[in-house]
Amino acid sequence: MSTITASPHWIAMWRQRLWRLAPADRDPVILRHSRIYILPTRRGLALITTIVIMLLTSMNYALSLGFALTFLCAGMVAAALLATFRNLAGIAVSPLVAGEAFAGGQLEFTLSLASGGDAREGIEVAPRDGPAIEVELPSGATRPVRLYVHARRRGRLPLGRVTLSSSVPLGLWRAWAYVHFPLTGSVYPVPEASPPPLPPGHQGSEARRAALAADAELAGLREYQRGDAQNRIAWKAVARGAGWYTKLFEGSGGSGAVDLDWAELPPGMDEEQRLARFAAWILAAERETRAFSLRLPGVHLAQSQGAGHRRAALIALALYPNAEAHG
Amino acid sequence: MAKAAHAPLTPVQTAWLAALLLCAQFPLWSSAFVWVSMIGTALVIVRLLPLRTLRKSRLNGLLLPALALIAAVAIRVQFGYFLARDPCVQFLYLLVGIKFLEARTTREGTLLVCLGLFLAVTQFFYSQSLIAAFMALPVVVALGGALASLATTAPRADWRAQLARPARLTLQGIPLAIVLFVLFPRLAGPLWGTATDTAARTGLSERMAPGSISELSLSDAVAFRVAFLGPPPSPRDRYWRGPVLARFDGREWSALSRLKAGAFARREGPPTDYTVTMEPHGKLWLFALEHPVGLPHSPSEDAVMSGPMSDMAFLTYDQQLLSRNIVMQSVRYAQRSALRASVPASESDIADNLRLPPNNPRSAIFARDLRARVASDRAYIDAVLGWFRSDPFVYTLTPPLLDRDPVDAFLFETQRGFCEHYAGAFVVLLRAAGIPARVVTGYQGGEMSLDGDYMIVRQSDAHAWAEAVLDGKWQRFDPTAAVAPSRVERGLGAALPAGEPVPYLARMEMTWLKSIRLHWDAISYQWQRGVVGFNVQRQRDLLREFGFDNLHPVDLAIAIAGVALTWSLAVLGFSRLHAAQIDPELALWRHVCRRLARAGLVRRPDEGPLDFCERAAARWPQWSVPIRRVGSLYAHLRYGPEREQRAALLSQLRVSVGALPGARRLRAGV
Repeated sequence: MSTITASPHWIAMWRQRLWRLAPADRDPVILRHSRIYILPTRRGLALITTIVIMLLTSMNYALSLGFALTFLCAGMVAAALLATFRNLAGIAVSPLVAGEAFAGGQLEFTLSLASGGDAREGIEVAPRDGPAIEVELPSGATRPVRLYVHARRRGRLPLGRVTLSSSVPLGLWRAWAYVHFPLTGSVYPVPEASPPPLPPGHQGSEARRAALAADAELAGLREYQRGDAQNRIAWKAVARGAGWYTKLFEGSGGSGAVDLDWAELPPGMDEEQRLARFAAWILAAERETRAFSLRLPGVHLAQSQGAGHRRAALIALALYPNAEAHG
Repeated sequence: MAKAAHAPLTPVQTAWLAALLLCAQFPLWSSAFVWVSMIGTALVIVRLLPLRTLRKSRLNGLLLPALALIAAVAIRVQFGYFLARDPCVQFLYLLVGIKFLEARTTREGTLLVCLGLFLAVTQFFYSQSLIAAFMALPVVVALGGALASLATTAPRADWRAQLARPARLTLQGIPLAIVLFVLFPRLAGPLWGTATDTAARTGLSERMAPGSISELSLSDAVAFRVAFLGPPPSPRDRYWRGPVLARFDGREWSALSRLKAGAFARREGPPTDYTVTMEPHGKLWLFALEHPVGLPHSPSEDAVMSGPMSDMAFLTYDQQLLSRNIVMQSVRYAQRSALRASVPASESDIADNLRLPPNNPRSAIFARDLRARVASDRAYIDAVLGWFRSDPFVYTLTPPLLDRDPVDAFLFETQRGFCEHYAGAFVVLLRAAGIPARVVTGYQGGEMSLDGDYMIVRQSDAHAWAEAVLDGKWQRFDPTAAVAPSRVERGLGAALPAGEPVPYLARMEMTWLKSIRLHWDAISYQWQRGVVGFNVQRQRDLLREFGFDNLHPVDLAIAIAGVALTWSLAVLGFSRLHAAQIDPELALWRHVCRRLARAGLVRRPDEGPLDFCERAAARWPQWSVPIRRVGSLYAHLRYGPEREQRAALLSQLRVSVGALPGARRLRAGV
């Protein structure tokens, strides 16, 4: 936005008017002529070119009926322009919900489209970074529209500018309009692919070790990752020179609440690795229905359980290091 | 966009494209070569047949160029040239078929739509009749259908919707089309050369050989139509002067190539004013009754009598009217003639019109003998006409062929001929006797329309007569009238003996078929005048009628833009109105809201139907059931019922609204 603030006020205003670069729309936006653009499609251009050639032919050979046919077709093309415009004009768009997703996935945003009178057909709604979807609105109907945006990086993800377009009825013209709502979703960090097991719970490491000795069965090996507990390392393999592996046990979950503490992770891990591990652990804790607390620099979530808690924790990870609560 | 362009054509799209191409090809059937029409149409139909081998064929990539090349070569061979209008039209006729045969994607579909539409315009090169106009209408319908089908990707789309919607758009576009038709500036001449296209139009030519006019007499085609300001002249005065032929090579008459301007004839009687609407004939001459005493001018303008030149035409020294442009489009002009007028003969007239080639010796001897026996030129002419009348000369459309010395053979052996034989032989006899004479061609006669407000002059009225200098003035003699007097009084059909191939409309009897043809001609005349003949001049006249004199192109552009804007607003407004009608549940809901508002309960703008009805139900507990029902039904209808449920829900809503008490009872019931 720095470019906008650098230019004079009226340029910024017009830029916003034309391109809707800033998320300045308040709901609901009713698409009107000031917002709707319209240009011929390739098929429309081809037909207009043909009509121009027909016109030149009629002029050259003074074909009155040639003029008549040419203008009849031109009238139809012009009426198609109005019909395409009308298909878009009057639609009310409001923002509903922004979703959440793990990085690498698709973040769901929901808009609401109201037909505002006429029936609408073939309205294409496309976010900037995601697949377009086609909507049909019967007369007077309101429909939720779910848009999926590629969640590429952890953090906040604004929906950005959405393009509504339509080339109904004859595919000769494409009308489009931009709406840009301040709708922002959160992208969680990608959970670590094969994280070490959750840290021991509050029953204490002694009890845990006993449990491990009593009922744990070796389930397999996986490659060692920094931060794996020393007592899990497959030392025999290391001794053979086969590489570093970590032993996995069945039923090694243990029980009781877990503390996920930034400070307790191995000191060599970088920020993103820590967040990825926490994300994986939060999912694991939920799977094992164990309560957990989360402590990041500047953030502390008290020990709790459930979907709301999980979401709060993941959002904290998503927004780290910007610790403000998510709305 | 790009993905959609390569989508394969669905069967519905293919069918619409075929319809468009066939509609565009059909009107050209009569003007294209038979093999071109057959093959071009067959190619379109073949594509519709379920021939799997053809569709899957690997040759497809080569098929188009190969077939197109063959078509081009064949057309080049048939015409002898290629780069002209007609061969190109016929090539396009074949090309759309070939292209359709191998079209697979919607992008190719778009190309075919454009080619087909252009092909549809080319039919007007050959005919602009009312029938041609009707034949173009299916093209518009098919064009809309093809575009609508190409615009939807659904494989099984409803063809009825694809028919109805573009038709509605076309209807909406008609007002704009009419305004453009009227206001769009017309050109006086062509943008690029059309010289190769002037051939093959029926009409008189600048040469007259035995047989050329009788051939023309077989045609019922209209040459021009005339509306008279006063009463039409009597049949024997209906001589429409055309090309004057003064040069004779022993067999063929042709015009002198000098185009000197001449002086008007001296009027010796009242003038006759009339307006001619002439069919295009690809030549320069304009026809006028003998003798023109004014220049052709636009019907709305006053006659400009300043001299023998005007914007439109000029008068030659031999009293022909020549247009400044080749008459390639229907032209309309007002003309003044004097039926009694005299044209003085000049020195050069006399010199030019005495020359004879050395053949036809018997005629020359006959002429000199006869001239020696009578006292004056006038007596000589009377003697010649008397000989035509008394000897067994026969007026016929099918004279025997004459080889060497055709005038001798005609006068002394066969004695059977058509007007060109009589006029030619008559002039030869006069020149041989030292009287300057020349052949005049044109039309003689004309039939009044059924209600008598205009006269139709047909190609079958083509005629040739003679002019001779007597007493220093040119005088008209019609030797055909000596042989067949009824030709002049009552037309070709009356003059020819039974069994001659007289064209249908030139026959004498008035059958119901002929009456239908005359009715049809009345319509065609209006069509020709109003639509086909709408050219620069008519456009200027029309604008002048509305008070716009010499509209500047910028003003015209502003006018067209203004009309387009008005039209857009009208179409958008009309649709808004239309949209309000198609929303029954909203109308019912507004009705309920109004009723409750009158009863004292006004819906807040942010209040949804359920909340509002809940509030109403609390206020009128005795009617809470129907009120709640209306709210829930309306909400359900508004926010997405399945399509098949809609009708049922809507009728339930109607019933529930009907069950609500009126505003007065509601007010009383609180």
